[in-house]
Amino acid sequence: MAARPRRRLLTRFWLQAPPAACLSGLTLNLLHKNTTKVEPLYHCKFLHTTLSQKGLEEFFDNPQNWGETVVKSGDEWHAKHLRNKSNEDLHKLWYVLLKEKNMLLTLQQEAKRQHLPMPSPERLEKVEKSMGRINLVIQEREVALRLLQTGHEKPRPGEWRNDFLGRTYWYNYKEWPIPWYLNKKYNRKRFFYLPYVKHFIRLRIEKHLKKQARMKNLEKKKQLLLQKKFPHLAAQSQN
Amino acid sequence: MASWKVRYPLYQLGNPQLRIFRPNFFMTLVRPGVPQPEDTVQFRISMEMTRLDVKNYLEKIYNVPVSAVRTRIQYGANNKRNHKNQKVKIPDYKVAYVQLGQGQTFQFPNLFPEKKETTEPGSMEEIQKQFMENERQRQTADPRRGGVTDWFGL
Repeated sequence: MAARPRRRLLTRFWLQAPPAACLSGLTLNLLHKNTTKVEPLYHCKFLHTTLSQKGLEEFFDNPQNWGETVVKSGDEWHAKHLRNKSNEDLHKLWYVLLKEKNMLLTLQQEAKRQHLPMPSPERLEKVEKSMGRINLVIQEREVALRLLQTGHEKPRPGEWRNDFLGRTYWYNYKEWPIPWYLNKKYNRKRFFYLPYVKHFIRLRIEKHLKKQARMKNLEKKKQLLLQKKFPHLAAQSQN
Repeated sequence: MASWKVRYPLYQLGNPQLRIFRPNFFMTLVRPGVPQPEDTVQFRISMEMTRLDVKNYLEKIYNVPVSAVRTRIQYGANNKRNHKNQKVKIPDYKVAYVQLGQGQTFQFPNLFPEKKETTEPGSMEEIQKQFMENERQRQTADPRRGGVTDWFGL
């Protein structure tokens, strides 16, 4: 990530001493019988653990940025930059982006709660796109490896099948715990069409070809119109 | 939340534990509507996550000690209507109440503290502010009149 301010990890905003009065006997136990009963350690005031809240702090931004209307952030990760990184680096980056997204989501929710605008909401889009691109790069690598090892492109096997309306589509195989001849729902599905459907297949092809021809004609007409309107630009484009 | 469609392999007795490499599950820390005990943190999580998932998520990724997790599903209302009188559904979400371990406490901080607006002396914003201040002073009535409006003569 470029030009991102480093966060201070050791701030102690939320480390509070538990109250003096011991309320363990007065807490209402409305939970289900089997849930783990965990009473807060009210009586352990003398046992003050100085663990800094490093973990939950990562759900929030740098405290200096709280209250600002604009928070500067760097550029998002592009595919060509990600392709140069190793798998381990991408794995680590994924978790960095995950934590960043969690932080932004908490900020968004809190802003909605307080009826205030979220500072720099474009950060969310950047993070989401970067995560999508990481997935893309990893999928590309997996596909390449799979093609070399097995010769198949897709991880999930499938085949071209016809449905009862005569349309041809890619059917992805599903995992079932039972064989196909015992599968009632699967046996009701028809992967073939009867002869009277041929006429409708022909009509469908006609419709598709007509639409294509219409689009092509429209393009041609638009070009002619533009050439009439701006003849000097037509001469320029030829050069 | 898990927005991308992922198909997990079918589990049958004896299969190894399912492991995910790049989880696309997100957790939102929310301010509790009802006051919670000090060691409880409230999250909004994906519908597909379980208590064990939440515990592992926080322990492995955030290194936060978790002692107990309780979850519930919040139903979003379906009785609102938009300007076309079409029914609009508010999406449902899952809430997790996480109790921290090792006696740690958590208080939701104020993420929008009021900040003093400091403007540079020569900048455009300073000039604009000065102008607005002057205009406002011109608009106010003469304090020597004691709140009496201009409608009355003298």
